[in-house]
Order: sequence, then C-alpha cells, then structure tokens
Amino acid sequence: MSMKLGKWKPGKIALLATVAVSYLFLYLPVVHIGLASFARNSNFPYPPKWSLDIMTRLLSNSLYQTALGNSLLIGVFAALLSTALAGLATIGLLRHAGRRAPVYLALFIAPLFVAEVLLGISSLIFNGLFLGLQGNIVSAILANVVHCFSYAVLIIATQLYRYDWRLDDAAMVFGASPARTFFEVTLPLIWPGLLGAFIVTFIMAFNNLEISFYLLGATPTLPSAAWGALRYGVKPELYALATCVNLIVFTLLAVMFVLMMTGAATFGHRPERERSAV
Amino acid sequence: MAYIHLDGVSRQYGSVWAVDRVNMAIEKHEFVSLLGPSGSGKTTLLRIIAGLERPTQGRVLIDGEDVTELPPHKRGVAMVFQEFLLFPHRTVYENLAFPLRMLKLPKGEIEARVEWVVGILALRGLETRYPNQLSGGQQQRVALGRGLVGRPKVLLLDEPLANLDRELRQEMEVEIRKHQTGLGIPFVYVTHNQEEALSMSDRIAVVRGGRIEDFASRADIYDRPKTAFIAQFVGRSSRFEAIVAGGDRRLALRGDGILIEAESQPGLALGERVAAYVKNEKVRLKPAEPGGADAPNALPATVRHVILRGAYAEYVLGWSGGELIASRPRSEAEFAEGAAVTAFWNAADVDLFPVSEPGR
Repeated sequence: MSMKLGKWKPGKIALLATVAVSYLFLYLPVVHIGLASFARNSNFPYPPKWSLDIMTRLLSNSLYQTALGNSLLIGVFAALLSTALAGLATIGLLRHAGRRAPVYLALFIAPLFVAEVLLGISSLIFNGLFLGLQGNIVSAILANVVHCFSYAVLIIATQLYRYDWRLDDAAMVFGASPARTFFEVTLPLIWPGLLGAFIVTFIMAFNNLEISFYLLGATPTLPSAAWGALRYGVKPELYALATCVNLIVFTLLAVMFVLMMTGAATFGHRPERERSAV
Repeated sequence: MAYIHLDGVSRQYGSVWAVDRVNMAIEKHEFVSLLGPSGSGKTTLLRIIAGLERPTQGRVLIDGEDVTELPPHKRGVAMVFQEFLLFPHRTVYENLAFPLRMLKLPKGEIEARVEWVVGILALRGLETRYPNQLSGGQQQRVALGRGLVGRPKVLLLDEPLANLDRELRQEMEVEIRKHQTGLGIPFVYVTHNQEEALSMSDRIAVVRGGRIEDFASRADIYDRPKTAFIAQFVGRSSRFEAIVAGGDRRLALRGDGILIEAESQPGLALGERVAAYVKNEKVRLKPAEPGGADAPNALPATVRHVILRGAYAEYVLGWSGGELIASRPRSEAEFAEGAAVTAFWNAADVDLFPVSEPGR
C-alpha cells in the first residue's frame, strides 16, 4: 500500500497532535469524573463497572439537595437581574452616552478585575451596613450580580452594537408607542444577546464559590458544599456532584450551540448573508 | 389654511442651526420636494415633521392641529427611508401590516388593505419572503407600500431612491407620483437629486444652510431661479462674471472678452459685478463666421469634447475665458471635436445675480 506523502506532512501531523493534546488536557479530567461517578470502582474506573450507587447516594443526601436549591436560586435571580440591568445599561451606553461612552463602559466592566474574594467581603460589609441585609441568599444574589453584570454588558454590547436604532424610528413613525416599539421590533432582534448573557451569568453565579461563601456562611450552595466536604476527604459523592454540575453547564451551552447552528439565534455572531438586512 | 404648516421652525445642534426659521405651507394634494445639497438640513426638516426630532423653536401644524409636542406615533404620518429600514424579522406581509396593526384595524380590513398595496406595487408572490431575500428594488417597493398602506395624513420620503440604480429610479419616480395623485395626500420628498425633484414635484423648496432659499413651482425654480445658488444647483449652466456696463431696457455686461446682453433687472447699478448664468440647453451653436465676434451673447469657441447622452449631445467648448457647455438635441446639426463654432443665446435666457463676495 502506498501512502500519499502529501496528505501527511510533518507540519500537519504536529498540528493535529497539538489539537488532540489540547482537547485531552481540557476534557480528560471531566471525562474521568464522569466515568467515576457512574462506576462502582470509582477510584480507578478503567474499565468502569457501571452502577448508579454513587448518584443515588448523592440524590438522597439532603445537604446536597438544599445546596442545589440555593445554587439554582442564586443562579436564576442573579442572571435575571444582571441581564436586565446590563441590557438597560448597554442601551443607555449606545444611545445616550455620546463621547463619554468609553468611560462609562470602562466603569461597567471594572468589576471583572476585582478578585472575587474581595467582592465577597466588601459586599458582605456594604450590604450589612447600608442595606441592612445580613448574610443571606438575597445578599448573595446581589453580590453575584456585581460581576455578572460586567460579563452581561460585554455580551449584550456585541449584539446591540450591530442593532440599527433607526428601525425604532421606523416603528414609531408607523404608529408604535415606545413600549410597543421595544417589544415588537427591538426585543425580537436583540433577544439572542440577552439570552446569551442570561445563560453565561447563570452559569457564573451558579458555580460561584467565593462571593456566595462570604455572604451565606453556613447556608450551603453546591460549590460550597463540595468545598466543605473536602475536609472529610474526597468522597465518591463529590464525583457525582461535579458530574451533575458539569451536565447542567453543558446542557445550557448545548442549547446555545444548537440555537446558533440552526440559525435561530446568533448571540452576536451574524452570518454574512443576514448583514445587509439589518 | 394649508394642510401642513411649518411656522418659524428651527433646530439647533450645539452651536449650529441645522434648520433656521423655516416657514412653509403645503397644500393637501401637493407633491413637495425639499431639494438641497447634503448637510443642508432637509432631512432634519423632514424628521421634524415626522416628530423624530423636536424643533428648538417654532410650530408644526398638520391638518389644522398643532403637533409640535406630539410624539411620532400619534401624528398619523408615514415615512419611506433611504435605507428602507424594513423590519428584518418580519415577512413582507407582516411589514406591510405593521402600520395597520398599530391602527388597531380589524383583521379583515388589514388583509384587504395589504392585498390592495400588494396589488398596486406588484409585490404579489413575495408576501412570505423576508426583507433579506428581496432585491433592492423590491425592498424599496415594500418600504413604499408600508408608507402608503395606512393612508397617512402625509407621506414623508427621505431620499428613497438614492440606493437604486438609474433605470429603476426613473421607473419608481413615475410610480411614486402616480400613487400620490391617486391617494390625494401630500408627499414631502427629500432629495439632493434635482432630476427627481423636477420630475415629480408640484413645488420645490430649495434648502441651503438650514434655510429655504426659495419655495416655488418647479417651472419657476428651473426657469426663473431666485438666487445664484439656485441657478447653480438646479439645472446645468455655465457661469460668466461681468460688470454692468450700461443699457436701458437691456443691460450690457462686459466680462473677459465677452459681451453679454440680458434683460433689465432692478437693483443692478452701473459698474456692479454680476454673475450671469446660461443653462446648457439654452446655448445654441452655429459654425464660426469671421468678423462676427463683437456681437453680444455670441462667443467664438472650439469644440473640445462631444459627450453623447442619447437624445442629446453635450458639447464641451473651449473659449478664451474658459469652458462652456452646450447641450443640443441630436436632431440638430452635429459638430465634430475640434470644430470652430460660435456659441450664442438669447438675452432672456441669461440669469443675473450680483456678486457679493469676489470670486464666488
């Protein structure tokens, strides 16, 4: 059999190898934990002996159930709040800020560069002193909103930057009130950006350890329960927990991916053929 | 009482007056063009009528009602935009139905009216398409249909044909005018293209520096320009500078090697500098004859280029003072490049304006 030399140049082999190694590095730990959480031999699941024991143990543990509930609460409300605020902030930034827009933008995204531990501590103190909020779940949601907001602004801005505000003029001239204009024209054209921001901020708040930890103390979230469980050694339940969290995150990303592939939403990316119309 | 009234309307941006004390009265069945170069404030004026801009001063009245404080959606106007601005997430049908839904018309009425507009604008078969699946001309028709379908009090058109090619543009000019006559509502049409303004309008307002330079019938604007700017901007003409040298019923003007005779105008003093404009199509040509150089309104020249424009030929003529263009029907005798000719015109075809600043 003769090998086609042109097809297997050394450069191409090196490139493919690099890609393969990179992906292995990224995803092998996740795959390992995934296998381990569905196997009886969870310490070294090669080959795995399939079993749902660990999953069942996790799901019957009331600590993890409470933690999941809290994490979902924090995730959903922090995402809703930060997406709504960031949407309004971005509209203001693009429509009304004028020449000072870069300054406002810089201040909107500055929280990205503050260590989360510090955000957690300062939010705890501020919320307690000035808002009269003791460390509780409301306080934790508010603190998460601070840095989620910055990400949401960046995501929404990429979508809104391309939006032609003269479409709003057109809608109003044809009889739509400002509110009607927003729901009939603006929102249907920018919702992918809002959904993208919602999903990303949900994942961030859901996964957050440092900020939530400072504001919640003994109230568990999934990351803090996992962190706490470390004191008693790495138990199989932790494998199952990590797998569950990963599944939630991957499901959300898969939703975004499918929407993008089917062209239902663009999340800021716009194929060439659609550009002329907007 | 006119149907649309602009009463001392001004709009200031920073320290610039984009629109400066504009007074206009537009009748119910009129097609009015706002003609001016880019940046003259004509689009701002249109947006003020639409309610998309608030005037800094002045009032806007539509059908006897002061709408100065009304937001656009309560004015009952419609607009056709240069960039079409069709809603990209809506089909052609939905785009056309949008103004009707905002009027809260019953479903049957909406269907009937969209059907009507689809018929008159030849959009049949395109109803379920999205704007990005249409050609530029089709998008323009949908944009026009969206403007007409709600039977607005006035249709405002902001350079709607600027993005179309020439042939399509001329087709649409006829069509737009036809619909305006048919509907009997005023159209206010913004353009920088004098041919569009001349082909469709009843009256033309020439806009310059935020002010209305003149607002008159299209024939008046073209044949009897009120200012030097209009003479220069509307139609194509050649310009001569001269000094009033005397004369009674007819003025004699003396420029650089040219003697111009024009009909008398009040307010021009002896020795005053004037600019004289002669439209290209008013310049006639005959073969050069020796000795006739001293006659007024006759210029010995050489044909430098001949540009064929279908039914017309444009002769670019060189004379001792510069260049001059004569636009003649092809049915007349033709001259070859390099030919020596005499260009001549009637005294009645010379438009005179005093030159305020030298060199302008």
